[in-house]
Amino acid sequence: MGAVTDDEVIRKRLLIDGDGAGDDRRINLLVKSFIKWCNSGSQEEGYSQYQRMLSTLSQCEFSMGKTLLVYDMNLREMENYEKIYKDIECSIAGAHEKIAECKKQILQAKRIRKNRQEYDALAKVIQHHPDRHDTLKALEALGKELEHLSHIKESVEDKLELRRKQFHVLLSTIHELQQTLENDEKLSEVDEAQETSLEADPKP
Amino acid sequence: MERAVPYTVPLGQREVFQALQRLHMTIFSQSVSPCGKFLASGNNYGQIAIFSLSAALSSEAKEESKKPIVTFQAHDGPVYSMVSTDRHLFSAGDGEVKAWLWVEILKKGCKELWRRQPPYRTSLEVPEINALLLVPKENSLILAGGDCQLHTMDLETGTFTALRGHTDYIHCLALRERNPEVLSGGEDGAVRLWDLRMAKEVQTIEVYKHEECSRPHNGRWIGCLATDSDWMVCGGGPALTLWHLRSSTPTTIFPMWAPQKHVTFYQDLILSAGQGPCVNQWQLSGELKAQVPGSSPGLLSLSLNQQPAAPECKVLTAAGSSCRVDVFTNLGYRAFSLSF
Repeated sequence: MGAVTDDEVIRKRLLIDGDGAGDDRRINLLVKSFIKWCNSGSQEEGYSQYQRMLSTLSQCEFSMGKTLLVYDMNLREMENYEKIYKDIECSIAGAHEKIAECKKQILQAKRIRKNRQEYDALAKVIQHHPDRHDTLKALEALGKELEHLSHIKESVEDKLELRRKQFHVLLSTIHELQQTLENDEKLSEVDEAQETSLEADPKP
Repeated sequence: MERAVPYTVPLGQREVFQALQRLHMTIFSQSVSPCGKFLASGNNYGQIAIFSLSAALSSEAKEESKKPIVTFQAHDGPVYSMVSTDRHLFSAGDGEVKAWLWVEILKKGCKELWRRQPPYRTSLEVPEINALLLVPKENSLILAGGDCQLHTMDLETGTFTALRGHTDYIHCLALRERNPEVLSGGEDGAVRLWDLRMAKEVQTIEVYKHEECSRPHNGRWIGCLATDSDWMVCGGGPALTLWHLRSSTPTTIFPMWAPQKHVTFYQDLILSAGQGPCVNQWQLSGELKAQVPGSSPGLLSLSLNQQPAAPECKVLTAAGSSCRVDVFTNLGYRAFSLSF
């Protein structure tokens, strides 16, 4: 137990003032001069030593005050750094959120771009085909022409039928006339034959 | 940059073999764990390696964090495709699909949960399964590959239904959320839309017949598909094109001469990768926004870790014809590479 505290003490003293040029030496000097002053003889020497001790004491107090002020300053600096650290952490978290948000926006934008490109690809193919209005109009015009031509065809066919019927009538009339003429010829031949036979008969 | 092995150290047989293996490795598929912190990748030797994304992305990452935490032999042939649900990892290779539990894998237990083989037309053929697709609403897994059919497996009962229509093998699948429909693209040059509930083909888009996008010198195969409900991007032999599904018209052609092997929609961009070391970022209007080089000479798969449980591991990973998986934390540059 004693060894541990000794080590601690030595470490602490070395940390505080290892080189022996500062306050530790001053305090040791003060203690030594106090003992000397207690053992000194004459009045003036004692008084001058007393003054010297007071000045050493005030020096020690001064350096202690300085150290206390430095300690306060360090504490306040620490607080300041803590605050800055927290601020930076908040802004890091904010930046993370913004990054996530931007990533979502990028995905959305990519989807939009993909849709746009699909639309463009289909539009290109569609452009190759002719316009629907034009084709419809062409179809209508062709339909009308077709109707017109079929009307003409019908009328021509009707005329053909009529002529055919008229020729048929003509030809059948001619045939009938021919028949009648032949019949008449035959009748006249028969009549002539009858006449010659009658002429031949009354002679005997 | 990887340091070369110093010449003075003699290499044993094992190291030589491993170095050769890494040189000839191709990583075909990737999948992110449900917690978002791990990435599984499957290579052409049938191995699956699990990388810890959270360890590799953390600030104390060292060289060992870029190596896998677990590697196990999953299939005899290459692992062409992998997909994760919230508890399982499904991996598919030559002919069969296997299921693994994520918690088991992370505890370094390498035993599969089950393996199934869809009914093939003949028992002789063992066609590879090129693509797996999970349909969460119907709780089913769709497999498609070399036998030109889509097999829908119900995850509860394990029964298979087949959808026929393709005339050549199928490369890729995509899910159209709204309807729900499945799109499949294959070697025959057609993208077919299938309605799962009616189990039949609803729409066919023959990409090579449209002269704006067809490139006959490359062939007519469809190597990659991605869909956004109304729009679809597909590429491969024909140029990478954006299609409007309802009218089946090609709207934008992306001027990329190299055939693309993987494409995906991301926010307002289209990310694509294929022959060539770069991941290309396109705007929907057809402009190339950025071309970010990776470390492999060709890329076969891209994976975006958008699991909500791990927003700090939100990265794009790209893998292809090398043993490295490039990790892009920001789409603008390659951050680092994980290596088998």
